[in-house]
Parts: sequence; C-alpha cells; structure tokens
Amino acid sequence: MSASAGSSRLKRMTKRTEFWIFLVLIVMCIFIQARSGGQLFTANTIVTILRSMCVDGMFAMICLIVMVSGGFDLSFPAVAALAYSLATTICLNNGWCQTNPIAGFVLSIIIGAVLGMLNGWIISNFKLNTMIVTLGTQTFFTGLSMGLLKMKEITSTLPAGLASFGKWALFTVKVDMNGRELSYDMTGMFIPFVIFCIVTSFVLNKTMFGRALYAIGGNETSAERAGYNVKRIKFILYTVVGAASGFVGMVRVCMARQSIPKAMIGKEMTIIPAVILGGASIFGGEGTVFGTVCAVAIITVVSNSMLLIGIDSYWQDFFNGLIILVGVTVSAVQAMRRNK
Amino acid sequence: MSEYLLEMKGICKSFAGVRALDHVNFKVRPGKVMCLAGENGCGKSTLVKIISGVYTRDEGEVIFEGQPVTKITPAEATRMGIQVIYQDLSIFPNLTVMENLAINSEITAGVKFVNRKRWEETAKEALSKIGYNIDLYAKMGELSVADKQLVAICRALLFNAKLIIMDEPTTALTKKEVDALFTTVRQLRDSGIAIMFISHKTEEIFEISDDVCIMRNGKNVYSGLTSELTPDQFTYYMTGRELTNDRFEPKNISREPVLKVDQLTLPGNYENVTFSLRKGEILGITGLLGSGRTELALSLFGLNNPKSGTITLNGSQVKITSPMKAQKLKIGYVPEDRLTEGLCLQQPIADNITLASLKRLSNALGILKHQDILDDAQIWKEKFSIATDDVRKFASTLSGGNQQKIVLSKWLSNDLDVLILNGPTVGVDVGAKQDIHALVHELANEGLAVIIISDDLSEVVTNCNRVIVMKEGRIVGEMDGDQVTEDNILEIIR
Repeated sequence: MSASAGSSRLKRMTKRTEFWIFLVLIVMCIFIQARSGGQLFTANTIVTILRSMCVDGMFAMICLIVMVSGGFDLSFPAVAALAYSLATTICLNNGWCQTNPIAGFVLSIIIGAVLGMLNGWIISNFKLNTMIVTLGTQTFFTGLSMGLLKMKEITSTLPAGLASFGKWALFTVKVDMNGRELSYDMTGMFIPFVIFCIVTSFVLNKTMFGRALYAIGGNETSAERAGYNVKRIKFILYTVVGAASGFVGMVRVCMARQSIPKAMIGKEMTIIPAVILGGASIFGGEGTVFGTVCAVAIITVVSNSMLLIGIDSYWQDFFNGLIILVGVTVSAVQAMRRNK
Repeated sequence: MSEYLLEMKGICKSFAGVRALDHVNFKVRPGKVMCLAGENGCGKSTLVKIISGVYTRDEGEVIFEGQPVTKITPAEATRMGIQVIYQDLSIFPNLTVMENLAINSEITAGVKFVNRKRWEETAKEALSKIGYNIDLYAKMGELSVADKQLVAICRALLFNAKLIIMDEPTTALTKKEVDALFTTVRQLRDSGIAIMFISHKTEEIFEISDDVCIMRNGKNVYSGLTSELTPDQFTYYMTGRELTNDRFEPKNISREPVLKVDQLTLPGNYENVTFSLRKGEILGITGLLGSGRTELALSLFGLNNPKSGTITLNGSQVKITSPMKAQKLKIGYVPEDRLTEGLCLQQPIADNITLASLKRLSNALGILKHQDILDDAQIWKEKFSIATDDVRKFASTLSGGNQQKIVLSKWLSNDLDVLILNGPTVGVDVGAKQDIHALVHELANEGLAVIIISDDLSEVVTNCNRVIVMKEGRIVGEMDGDQVTEDNILEIIR
C-alpha cells in the first residue's frame, strides 16, 4: 500500500514541469563547471549570479501570480519605472531618505499600488483581455513618466539613504586574483528575494485567495459559480502586483545606485518567457514558485557563464532566445496533450 | 408538509421585451426523477437559472417545501438544498479531485486559509455519499467525462442537496457511461433526493424519469407522469408537429460500387476491413466506442493513413493521403465534433457554408466573388430550412441542429460521390434531427453514396439500408434490408 502510494507520488512528480526544469538546471551547472575548469562553483561566481537573480527573481514572482490567474501583466516594468522615478524625485526634492530608505520604498509602493489599481479596475470591470489592457497601460505609464512628469535620470545625486541601502552586504568574499585581492559582496537584497518567494508560495498554496487564482486560471465561470467574487479578486491581484512592482523597482534603484526612468523598458519580454519556462501555463491555472526560481536561475547562469566557457557574450541573446523557445514549446505541447 | 418539494406557478420572465417564459407551471416530487424536456431555445435554461437564483422571475409563485419563497439568490438556493450540475460540470481541470470536491464548501464557509487535512476529509466524505472510489490526487482534467460527472455529483451532495438539477448530463457520454450515470441517479432518487433531469433525448427520458415537463416556446405544453405518455405524443409535444419516422427506402442504387475497400488494415485501429458501397445507398457503420469505426472513417478521408489494403474509387485504385486529396476524389466528411472540427463559430453562416467550395466561388485570380457566396448560402438556407433571417450572421447564433445543417451544406455544396457522416445528430434536437435525416434520404435517392457512422441504433436502423457492425477493429457482422433491426445489431455487438 505505502510502496504503491510512494511510487505513484514519484510518478506524479516526474510528470511535473518543475521537476524537469530542476534537472536541466543541475545538468547545465555540471556541464558549465566541467567546461570552464571549475570556475562556476567558486564563491565569487556564485555571489555574482545570486546578485543578478534578485531583481529578476522578484519580478518573476509578480508575473507568476498573474499568469496563474490566467492573465498577463505586460505593464509591471512601466509601473516599477514610474513608481521609482517619481518616488526618488520626490525624496530628492524634499531632502528625504538621507539616512534610511524607508520613505522612498513607501512612496514607490503606494504609487505602484495606485497604478496597479487602474489595471485592476479596467480588467475586472470591463472583462477585457489582460494582455491588451496592460499593453495599453504600459505605454500610457511610460508616456506619463516621460512626457507629463518629465522624469529625469538621477545618478550621483541619489539620496544617500537609498545608495547605502543598496550597498548592504550579508558577507564579503575575498578572492586572490594574480596577487591583487578582489572582494565580492553578497548583496542584502537577496533577503527580500527570499521573502518574496516564501510569501508567493504561501499565498498560492495556503490561502483561499491563492487557490482562487488557480481556480480562476483553470475555469473562470466555474470559479464564479463556486462562489468566488472574481471581480474583487482580480482587482486585489492587480493592485498587489502594482505595489510589489513599485517595491522591486526601488530595490533595483538601490542596487544600481541610480534611477533611470527608461531602464525597465522591455523587461517583461525576458521575465514572462522565463516564468513560462518554469512551468507556468500560458492558458493559466498552472505554475509554481519552485519552477519559476529554477527557470530564472537557468537564464541567469547561462548569461553569466558564457564567458566562463569561452563563448562571446553577444551569443547571450541567441541562447536566451533558444531556451525560451524550448520552454514555451514544451509548455504548449503539454497543454495540447492535456486537451486531447 | 406538502407532497411536493418544489412548486412553481405562473412563472414569467422577459428579456428586453421578449418573453422567454410564459406562465410556466410545474411540480417536483421528492424522491422522484423529473424530466424537463424541450428543443433548444425553448426556455429550459432560463427556467433553471430562475430556480438556482441566477435570474429573478418577473411574475409567479415559488413554493419550496410548502413555504412560499419570495426571492431566490444563488446563496439562498444553495442553503435551501438546490444544486445545479451544469453541462460543462463547472470543474477546475488544473486542480486535483480533492480540491475540486472541497473548494466550494470551503468558499461557502468563508475561510481564509487552506487546511489540507480538512480538504481531504471533506473530499472523502463527498465520495462516500455515493460510494465512489477515485484517486484524490489525480488531476481533474485527466479524468474521463463520466468520472468528472461523478465528481461533480459528489460535490453537489456535500451541500445536503434536496434537489439536484442536471443540465443535459448525457451529451458527451457513451451508452455504457449513460447506464452507469443512471444507476447513480436511481441511487440518489431512492435516498429521497429529487432529480431534475434536462434532456431532449426521447429514449433517455422514458428510461429514467417518473414525471415529465415538456416546454415549447417558453410555455409548458405538458406536465404529468411519464408513464401516461407515448414516445410519439412526447415528440409531438416537443416539436409541435407530427413527425413520421420514415425508414429509408433506397430507390436508385447503382449497379457498380462507387467505393470498394479491400483488406484495409491499420494495426491498433482496425484490421482486414472489406466492404463496398454503391451510389444511392446509405451504409451504416456501427459499433461501440473504440470499435474502430471512427478510425476507419478518418482513413477514408485521409486523416489516418492505413498500413495495408486497397481503396478503389469508381474503378480505379486510389491512395487517400490527405483531406485535400479526399476532396479532389469527391469524398466529404462531417466530423463527430462539429464545434471544433467542422465549424468556425465566430464567422458568418454564409462563409461557413461555402468554405469547402471557395474555388468555385472565386475568379481566375483567386479573388472571392462576394455576391456569389451569399447567393450560394441563400440556396442552402432555403433547401435545409436553416433557422436564420440573415446568412451574414455568425454561426454561433444558431442552435446545435441548425449548426449541423451548416456543416452538411458545406460539404454538399460541392459535387460529391461519397459523403461520410460521423454521428450526424449528436446533440441535435428531435425536430432538426428529422430534417437532417430527410435530407440525407433525398440526397441518397439523387445518387449520392452515404456512410453513416453512429452508435445511436435507432438512427442507424431508420436511415440505413445496409449495416456493418464493428467490434475491436474488425467487421463482425453485415446485414441489409429487413434484417436491419436494433435487436439484430445488439446481438452482434454484445
């Protein structure tokens, strides 16, 4: 009895996309490790890779919960950009954030939430296709930032509280490079990334709100008939997603120690495919935090280790594109089989 | 307490001035199966939505367990013990069986967090209500329609249902699955639950129901005991016209066969299939699901290439490798699932009808002649009496029966030698069914060779002058003329 239950659990596990994604990640790491002469699993490379995963990983969580509900959010980079540009400008003009970054984050989250509310209001009230709506608001928010508000780049004048928060290191790795000692900081922004993953996973699996997102992604009519207030859930979802985008945008400002209004353009085109690669279905109702983290790791490892195995970095887009195509095709083939 | 569980008197409902329900009366007895019958668009679903609280009635009285009910909301309906199992079953294909079973009651209870243990207990309790056994962690989308239906029934039972409304539950089921469903329905009935069964299939209604309420054009034209009704009366009430079940009499059979199939084999699908078909004949191919009948049909239309054997058409041997090739050879195929395989619902009726004959309707440069398309469609609309005022309307505006007429006219508007119909009247109501059969008879007598593939034995018997019975991929019997009876076929199939 227990043996058969165990084997059926194993069978179920091998059916899941995230299991295979995880396997691909491991195999790929071993391959790169071997080809690069052991350069991947060194303290400084790992610290660098984890650092570049933080922001993309958090954005991926945002995309994941929207995609689980059967929607697409193309506007999150524009929301993040407008939120952090406006927040840093306000802080700069008022002399805030000199010692701590709190005011900047609070402002960015609030602005993000307001912009997300607009998405949520349009999507839930007019029952429109989410991709079309967020494509529209994306352009609208960018236009608002550039045209009406005339957001400027803030680099050296970035408030000290934000800049120093971005330098926060959990620990420092020192490497001896031909007699010169180089130090690599393990960024403190890894903490919010981990918290994001835990919270997303908790919400998706342990709350009725999270199950509602899966239910709506699976069959919206059924979710309505089952007693979910689909309209309200969607409104809340897009508002929360907007607020989270504002937060992540601000993390990026702190890490880069500059606020560039145009820095986020096109971000959705790399994050969304990564989430799909991680097992989220383009038709909604499927996707896990674990799979998404693995997919983000694959893409980050590939782009960071091209040079390690002696491939010119301009091949990076080529390989990223290839990985994404494979991921999306696998996802579509699976969906097709299921519908058969 | 009243003898009736639910009484509805003088129910009226209008939408934008159009009367959908006109003084409908009926009663539901506890522990009985009540059938609500009627053709598409007669107001059945509006009535169901009023009972379940989705719509509010304009006029009329509702009495539930002897108490008058003034206003029904969906929540109120659930509280009273009314559960609707919709045709699409309202399931979540991406979630597990356990989640599908428990999610509704969790939402109703208004909890905020997920408690796996409680979900599992709820799910087990639901399954125990009808003693049904299934893997709780299986994905819902991977189950068969019959299993999905049982899960939906179990879920409804969790709410201490007193009245379960099933909206056309047998549409996607095989005969065997229907029998299993009926066993469950009887089990529920015997436990005191009232079942309202919505259907338009005559045989099923007579098999399962105690009471029947027949609706036509928003009015109920009959309500009473099923046993006091004959099938002919039933059909009359449904359609409002006397239907004659004319058996097909071939008048014009050609001497030479138009199609000859010899030792056709595709391992795993069918083996050593040999038969011939002459012009003016209607040949029935029947058998249970999985007998190879559909696979064979697909091979004749170039969608399932056979491994060995020959197909001879008009005396010359042919290889049918693609649907395009089949069309060139003047073979037409109307698929089982017309909605996904045979129709573009969001396209005008005229475009659907002429889809297979665009070559004829375009000029030398391949540019379409718009007026010719409309004229062509108009001819078919009249010939087939397709119920629409304008052929430029979308196909989705029509009922199932009329949609099927479009699919047929699409193929017939090309000059054909052989027409293959796979389940031509699945999900079609009696009136439209009659129209389709009559037209097929006419076409055969005009010299077309027709193959009907169906598991609806009464359809096969009334329409075919010759029948081939398949079982596990082989032909196990052939009969013609007076030998074609339901009993004879059943004897071989079993």
